Amino acid sequence: MKSKYQHSNALSKDLISLLGKEKVKAEPEDLLAYSSDATRYFAQGMPDAVILPTEISDISKVLKYATAYEIPVTPRGAGSGLSGGATPIKGGIVLDMKRMNHILDINKGNMTARVESGVVLANFHRAVERQRLFYPPDPQSMDVCTLGGNVACRAGGPHCVKYGTTPNYVLGLEAVLPDGSVINTGGISIKQSTGYNITQLLTGSEGTLAVITKINLRLIPLPAARKTAIIVCDSPQLASELVSRIIYDGTVPAVLEYVSASAIMLMNSFNPIPVTMDGKAYLFIELDGSPAVILEDSEEIKRTCLEMKAREVKIFEDPEQAALIWKTRRKYSPLLLRVMKRAVLEDISVPRDKFPEMVKAVEEIGASLGIPTSISGHAGDGNVHPAVLYPEVTPEMEKKAEEAVRLIIRKGLDLGGTISGEHGIGLHKSQFMEMEFGQEQIALLKRIKYAFDPGGIMNPGKIWPETGA
Amino acid sequence: MITGIDDYAELADKCSHCSLCEAVCPVYLADLLETNVARARVDIINQTLCKKSMPVTRRVRDIINRCLICTSCTQSCGAAVPVHEIIITARHALYGGRRQNLFMRHFMKCMVENRGITGLPALLLLSAQKLRLAPEGFPSVKLRTFDRRYYGTYLPEGKKRAKVAYFTGCSTNTMDPDTGISVMKVLAHNGIEVVVPERLVCCGIPSLGEGDIETVQKSVRNNVNILSVLDVDAIVTDCTSCGMMLRIEAPKTLPEGDPCQAKAVRMAEKVFEVTDYLNTIGIVADPGPVDESYTYHVPCHRGWTPGMNAAPLQLLANIPGLKYKAMEEPEKCCGAGGSFFLDYTDLARKIRKRKAEDIANSGARVVISQCPGCRSYLSPVLGKGQEIVHPITMLLRSYRY
Repeated sequence: MKSKYQHSNALSKDLISLLGKEKVKAEPEDLLAYSSDATRYFAQGMPDAVILPTEISDISKVLKYATAYEIPVTPRGAGSGLSGGATPIKGGIVLDMKRMNHILDINKGNMTARVESGVVLANFHRAVERQRLFYPPDPQSMDVCTLGGNVACRAGGPHCVKYGTTPNYVLGLEAVLPDGSVINTGGISIKQSTGYNITQLLTGSEGTLAVITKINLRLIPLPAARKTAIIVCDSPQLASELVSRIIYDGTVPAVLEYVSASAIMLMNSFNPIPVTMDGKAYLFIELDGSPAVILEDSEEIKRTCLEMKAREVKIFEDPEQAALIWKTRRKYSPLLLRVMKRAVLEDISVPRDKFPEMVKAVEEIGASLGIPTSISGHAGDGNVHPAVLYPEVTPEMEKKAEEAVRLIIRKGLDLGGTISGEHGIGLHKSQFMEMEFGQEQIALLKRIKYAFDPGGIMNPGKIWPETGA
Repeated sequence: MITGIDDYAELADKCSHCSLCEAVCPVYLADLLETNVARARVDIINQTLCKKSMPVTRRVRDIINRCLICTSCTQSCGAAVPVHEIIITARHALYGGRRQNLFMRHFMKCMVENRGITGLPALLLLSAQKLRLAPEGFPSVKLRTFDRRYYGTYLPEGKKRAKVAYFTGCSTNTMDPDTGISVMKVLAHNGIEVVVPERLVCCGIPSLGEGDIETVQKSVRNNVNILSVLDVDAIVTDCTSCGMMLRIEAPKTLPEGDPCQAKAVRMAEKVFEVTDYLNTIGIVADPGPVDESYTYHVPCHRGWTPGMNAAPLQLLANIPGLKYKAMEEPEKCCGAGGSFFLDYTDLARKIRKRKAEDIANSGARVVISQCPGCRSYLSPVLGKGQEIVHPITMLLRSYRY
């Protein structure tokens, strides 16, 4: 019985009889399409079948079946993740949640929403903003990524410096456990103090405990106005010192992004960024609030920056121009592939005051190993995205890149940081988990996992590396 | 130059798998199956045709055919993977120009050579449409084509400000000559001398979509040889697809070093969409007031000159009283995709339905779009009293001709 999933024909026949033909895809072309997320260079795994559920009972049936035959199940949103979390390395079933994409309720009075987990984030943004409500998390993949994926990986984004990441907004979940039973955690109350917080345990569980099917989210009022500014600096140090100073002085921008000189030049080649290109580092800022507050804040920031010898503070009045700047910023990571053969995107999060040191360390690590790096990051919350770049893909380069990533992560931890700010662990960083968590905590994680998923079918091989036993 | 599919392996490998193409692919957004999105298509072509590690199955053919060549994925790709070129080249490799059945191939051949549907095929189509046998959304034809009415040089009204050549594509020539006539009148009214060259053929974009590179090259050579020797300031077109073909794709279809290729490059620099061109040189004839509201459906083959995307709105902003009412996602495809709506009727209708809802929600009476394919495919789903026209038609109305 156990080896049933190894005969993919038998598997898809069974699944078709459970769900009908429309919801089961298992031709080689489908399997290839679902074999990785956005970290294809790192790992790929062919699933044996892809399931496209449209209702919760589909998922219950599949999980019951998968538990009975010990078939791995990998839940998947847009497949845009940067951790390998949706890569089905053990084969089995991929659960594509994108057809469960209904916004079920937007409650203006309570300022909450209830959605199916396959809703695309940008569509959700549009829907709530039409009602003058605001859902701040905004990972750069927001045009495609799903809310379910966001919750599973604790997604962040530029706006999180002021507003916090996805977990700050999750109030309750509906999820299917591996035995097919359905649980409803939390609720839609803003305050909750009821027993173990299963909602927040599933949030960030990366599909290793259960399949998230519905999400209750907290919303906030939509700021009346926004304004974008770019600060040009003559050194990366100055830019990163400004980050702490601006916030310390009392203005928390809605977005405070660090963009290296090489990163802005790349963005500029895609869409012109209307500032001088000969700065050594840049800060992209968005202020939000009432027009009066924005005006006051922007003047305050301008004063601070010029006092600290920033080269230029450019404020963009035209909202369309501002929108284009942020759209271009979102393209940064794929843009790297225009000039490089491969880009490994890291996701270190350090205490904000250590941001300058982290930026400096990344540059030094790159220089000492002779491998190009490019830094961008949500500097306002200390989240650095160093990109380790391959001009050519050679075994020697791969070794250097591996070493660079290891040194960057070590440095992040030494500075009191964490190995992932918003991407999650998945496959990509599982080997570093023990460095941060220690053996005892990993053992605890495994016991929690066992309580949810005794058969070990849920997204196996993720978060911590598998050891022999 | 678009050549063998093997040459695309390296470009296909450039895909970072970021999946941002999921936001723009009309087919994926209707199917919600990742197998049908650019990221996967490129992978599948790479594995089956370039690296040959997987067999070419019927499913592979369907995945390659199930694409509108709207180019939205290419336009939005951060890593600059030329997805639509890869798909076109894959079609070339799979079918060698014989993707369609014999009847359709013959029909297309007549169309390419006569710049549209004329003669016997036109009569057949008209009868079929009368008997309601023709496919829904297929444009009607006019027996008095544009090229029978206009050829040679036309002097401007008033002081001459510029001289342009006007390239009319198959649709304007035989299905919608009225748009062509509007263009002629608006240009003349604004002091622009217009040359209407003779012996032009189809721009080549329908054959390009088929992967029929040989026919494309024939069309391009013919047109380049005529257009490149004209002494004009610009070559304007009302059709965004013809324009993209002439400006962006034509030089890529000929081999480097070919004397005609160099001519194609020089010609391409002069090609402009007509509203973009009028904005660049400015209009001198003042439009009269028009009490009307309109919305803009942006054609897929957009953005091939920097000013183009904003051009129709900018031009029509000159008309007093005319109100613009934006629709949601104006760049979302209508589903026509050349002849795609004939091959994938249900899918195309599903894509069109969403567009129709956006148009209805805009609350505008008139829809403008520079793509003749969009205009004829969207016509049947417009509300009562609504119409879809080329932006130039709107401008001409304000001149009260």
